[in-house]
Amino acid sequence: MVRILIGTRKGLFVLVSDDERREWTIEGPHLVGWETFHATLDPRDGAIYAATNSPVYGATVHRSGDLGATWTRAEEIGLPEDSGLKLEKTWHVEAGREGEDGRLWLGAAPGVLFRSDDSGATWQVVESVLRHETRDQWNPGAGGMCCHSIQLDPTAPERMYIGISAAGVFRSEDGGGSWTPANQGTAADFMPDPWPAVGQCVHKLLLHPARPDRLWQQNHCGVYRSDDRGESWERLEGNGLPSGFGFPLALDPRDPDSAFVVPEYGAENRVTPDGRLGVYRTSDGGASWDLTTEGLPEPAWAAVMREGFSFDRLDPFGVYLGTQSGSVFASADGGQSWSETASQLPTILSVEAAVWP
Amino acid sequence: MAVILLPGMLATEAGGQRRFELDAGTVAEALRTLPISNLIFDERGELRRLVNVYVDGVDVRDREGLETPLAGEETIRLVGAIAGG
Repeated sequence: MVRILIGTRKGLFVLVSDDERREWTIEGPHLVGWETFHATLDPRDGAIYAATNSPVYGATVHRSGDLGATWTRAEEIGLPEDSGLKLEKTWHVEAGREGEDGRLWLGAAPGVLFRSDDSGATWQVVESVLRHETRDQWNPGAGGMCCHSIQLDPTAPERMYIGISAAGVFRSEDGGGSWTPANQGTAADFMPDPWPAVGQCVHKLLLHPARPDRLWQQNHCGVYRSDDRGESWERLEGNGLPSGFGFPLALDPRDPDSAFVVPEYGAENRVTPDGRLGVYRTSDGGASWDLTTEGLPEPAWAAVMREGFSFDRLDPFGVYLGTQSGSVFASADGGQSWSETASQLPTILSVEAAVWP
Repeated sequence: MAVILLPGMLATEAGGQRRFELDAGTVAEALRTLPISNLIFDERGELRRLVNVYVDGVDVRDREGLETPLAGEETIRLVGAIAGG
């Protein structure tokens, strides 16, 4: 079964289909009252984890071991008093690697990373991020100083990446023990020095599963690709993209040269350009981009948030996006054509595809 | 025994239990025994800003705060100050 976890301002919904992905049913809402910034299905055991937030009751993580029928909440999560910081929001849950039973990573605000080794019951802050030597050069974006991207290299057990807005991309070669800024070549046009070592506003970071040295990045200031584990970045939006500004990013799981973005006009006008919802795809590593609109609405002034784009690993692979106006669009043919599979949902904050029996 | 009444979201998080009866010397002691205490207190143990606590209909801010003593007959209501859409 294919399950699309839809995190919204007002709980979690799940779209369910078979591998053909033609007919969808919707389950939920789960986690009523909780803003679900992101949810993921752990491929190791089928548990669902949700980064959940309430303006009244704070930030936490919920876990369901029965596909949403029942939920438990993290027992311990927070920041140490001597940091002078308090946990603001939870943003992204990333399952650990195969064989790392019970391990999960959690990105959160203000610019912090947590690790759990007990399936999300307790969360320990990663001190090397909390006390990073460059932290005084980080600043919050409009959504807070969120650690929203966590990528684990499947071929190097100690290598991982995080993206924090607006601190930039960081790489660890020792399992999270230390972090090196990986922002060379990415712009921070909003800073007095537009090429700082840190302070970039990365909006979404993805590692290509078939070529883990290749990273893709949708940034506040452009779309980028790195072929050397983030040592250097190439800016890509010169040929076919209407704008370098956008939030979400998706990949073709088998083709490292293909990627999808949903541009917006720019930082001051955050809707999709030209009065339509368009998905732009590159098949040549970002040298050129082509617009896909088949099955997507027009006229439309849409917005897709940073977690609102996902893809599955089936063949052909599926691509999914959710809009702030509560529609989910799915493509079962690798992004060539789309259909609306849900509408009138609350504001969609995240979309995550999973294949689970 | 004091009675504590939870709003809907907290009752859901408490396994569906909306009403608790317990013995405690102060409001703080009573609230910290609840299974949802980490939703009403933050990681410093401070009451979250938008959680309102009423003892027999009076905001604890107008009494002695969380140190308001309990005699054992009170009804404590928790109310989340939710606004907006």
